[in-house]
Amino acid sequence: MKIALTGNPNSGKTTLFNALTGQVEKIGNWSGVTIDKKEAPVRKKWVAGNEEIIAVDLPGAYSMSPFTAEETITRDFVQQENPDVIVNIVDATNLSRSLFFSTQLLELGIPVVVALNKCDLNRKKGISISVEALSYNLGCPIIETIATSKGHNGLKGLLEFAILSKGKSQKAPFDSSEVDISNKEAVEASDKKRYEWVQGIIAEVERRKVTANKQTKQDAVDRVVAHKWLGFPIFALIMWTVFSISQSSVGPFFADTLVGWIDGFYAWVEGLLGGGIAPVLRVILLDGIIGGVGAVVGFLPLIIVLFFLLSLLEDCGYMARVAVVMDKFFKRVGLSGKSIIPMVIGTGCSIPGIMSTRTIKNVRQRRTTAMLTPFMPCGAKLPVIALFAGVFFNEAAWVGTTMYFVGIFLIVTGAFIVVRITGERGSRAYFIMELPEYRFPSIKRAAVESFLQAKAFILKAGTIILLCNATIQLMQTFDWNLNVVADGAQSTSILASLATPFALLLVPLGFGAWQLAAAAITGFIAKENVVGTLAVVYGITNFINTDELALISGGDSVAGIMGLTKVAALSYLMFNLFTPPCFAALGAMNAELENKKWLWGAIGFQFGMGYIVAFLTYQIGTLVTTGALGAGFIPGMIAVLLIGGYITYLMIKGERLAYAKKKALA
Amino acid sequence: MDQAFQGKRVIKYRQGRENPVGKATHLASAQLNTPYWITGVQTEDEDMQDFLFSLGCYEGQTVTILSALGENFVISVKDARYSIDRDLAEAILV
Repeated sequence: MKIALTGNPNSGKTTLFNALTGQVEKIGNWSGVTIDKKEAPVRKKWVAGNEEIIAVDLPGAYSMSPFTAEETITRDFVQQENPDVIVNIVDATNLSRSLFFSTQLLELGIPVVVALNKCDLNRKKGISISVEALSYNLGCPIIETIATSKGHNGLKGLLEFAILSKGKSQKAPFDSSEVDISNKEAVEASDKKRYEWVQGIIAEVERRKVTANKQTKQDAVDRVVAHKWLGFPIFALIMWTVFSISQSSVGPFFADTLVGWIDGFYAWVEGLLGGGIAPVLRVILLDGIIGGVGAVVGFLPLIIVLFFLLSLLEDCGYMARVAVVMDKFFKRVGLSGKSIIPMVIGTGCSIPGIMSTRTIKNVRQRRTTAMLTPFMPCGAKLPVIALFAGVFFNEAAWVGTTMYFVGIFLIVTGAFIVVRITGERGSRAYFIMELPEYRFPSIKRAAVESFLQAKAFILKAGTIILLCNATIQLMQTFDWNLNVVADGAQSTSILASLATPFALLLVPLGFGAWQLAAAAITGFIAKENVVGTLAVVYGITNFINTDELALISGGDSVAGIMGLTKVAALSYLMFNLFTPPCFAALGAMNAELENKKWLWGAIGFQFGMGYIVAFLTYQIGTLVTTGALGAGFIPGMIAVLLIGGYITYLMIKGERLAYAKKKALA
Repeated sequence: MDQAFQGKRVIKYRQGRENPVGKATHLASAQLNTPYWITGVQTEDEDMQDFLFSLGCYEGQTVTILSALGENFVISVKDARYSIDRDLAEAILV
């Protein structure tokens, strides 16, 4: 049998789903974390009999009339897919709103079982609910649950009642079947009666020591973290802390140990191979596979720590407050505070970030957010940042922090441009965001989340990245006649000849070497590849402990091997971070933008921005540090002017369109 | 449920919450920590109006401002907290 989990946003549906099925779907303490339906079988330990139960987790909805896209999924599912039983998760601390949706679900004729969730919070808040009276009034079983608890969480009872209810009919306590749904006024009148009916029930079954509209400690906290002036510095400080812990202190500390092991493994395999193996094979195995993959895997601890901290942040309830803080900034460029949530999620991985834009109602805001989210450096870009910060800037923490702020700057600039191109400047969009209660974040959940990410990362390193590195190694070992490239003639290799034309385009950015072009190109498959490819093409295996590295490579510095100045290195780093994301993220963008014009516009925009930022960094930086302009200034400047000119042209066109529309209206 | 019983309850509910007379016309000009009953939602955005309705924010219901955070307000409707911007606060008439 199939049970559908429905209820208001942030009532604990996914927490309950995970507890029932043993899945590890994403959870967060704000409205709209779940954006798609998920199905999984319920674990046997919760079910008394032999019944096979499939649980379906649905996005939260406030009512049967959807406001955003993900609410539509919920309505369509319960109306059209005929689940055997609907489990309605009701937030026990917020009966008065939740029951509105419950009464609508009770009208579908499908048996409903109510899970009165978060009832542990009720005890703390001095709210008491008479479950018997509520059950009698609604005409369906009600089970108190605590989905976050392992022990007495009520799940067994919930499923028992779900199985018992299967096949039964459901009487609606509030019946609106007589109402003509095509008549908006009649529907509204009926829904008002529905709310009044719910209020009547609440008065009967619920007792509160303190009404919900009284000041609490939470409100006091909100006034600080979402303060007019303090809010933004607090957010910046929190993000800076997350990045510095994951990239400059705790992360690298563990990474050092891990890299030691990888080096040991390299030496061990090298010893095993001895001299009795063809040199080509030896190079592919050692430098291509172990070296290249090892260089990427060495950064694993940074990713684990990043995801751990992000998970804590998502769990505590702060995200909704960030949306409030950012609203006034984003409003100026035609977005709303809601757009910050995909961007914060995007610092872990752009794909879930892009997907979470679905909860944004306004189409232009949603698309703009989806195309700009990849400017936030994601977890896969972390190794690239860490590599360059380590090799060229002595592990300075400002490098990483600056990259995030450049990302934010590009997002704001991007939004500023897009709202003008679309001709929607001045259009009004309201902002409303439910403020969930703060809670102490679950350490266990954060650990699970970072473990999952680590697993995915290793899997990726062992498949895509391994394959890419081996291919890159082969392509640089052989020339087009399949002869092994001689020492000193590396530029005749397949890889070099393929990458050289691209390298030419990059001369004005300060890094016209084919090796660097090749690394940037493989980055589109997965951004970690930039590190892997650099390791392979320069024959470097250890990027973390650079002192040691300098010794291995014969006293020369890594910076020397790559032949880049500090300014050019910074430019190269930014080029990799701010040009389009990996193909997987582009796929997510394609899905959410739902429009080819937007997709190609977005990709073009990302290339344009990446190129301009890298160009300006290199040329201005070189001018400041050496007093002269860098190589290829004139062709680069022409390219930048063309890109800038085209964007300006589109903006003017959009503004004219908006003006014409306004005039037509007036 | 008994219809008459419900009707009575609603009347009682409203009588207990008279708005401070002449003090506010919309939520953005209302006082903190004072329950107001909503007299209407004035916006051309019908979707938003419907959405507010599903949250229980419509004519006849009560709303309380708990904090004013620059351009945003924290309000309590039913038993939940929301943050809304000034534009939306101005659309909610009290």
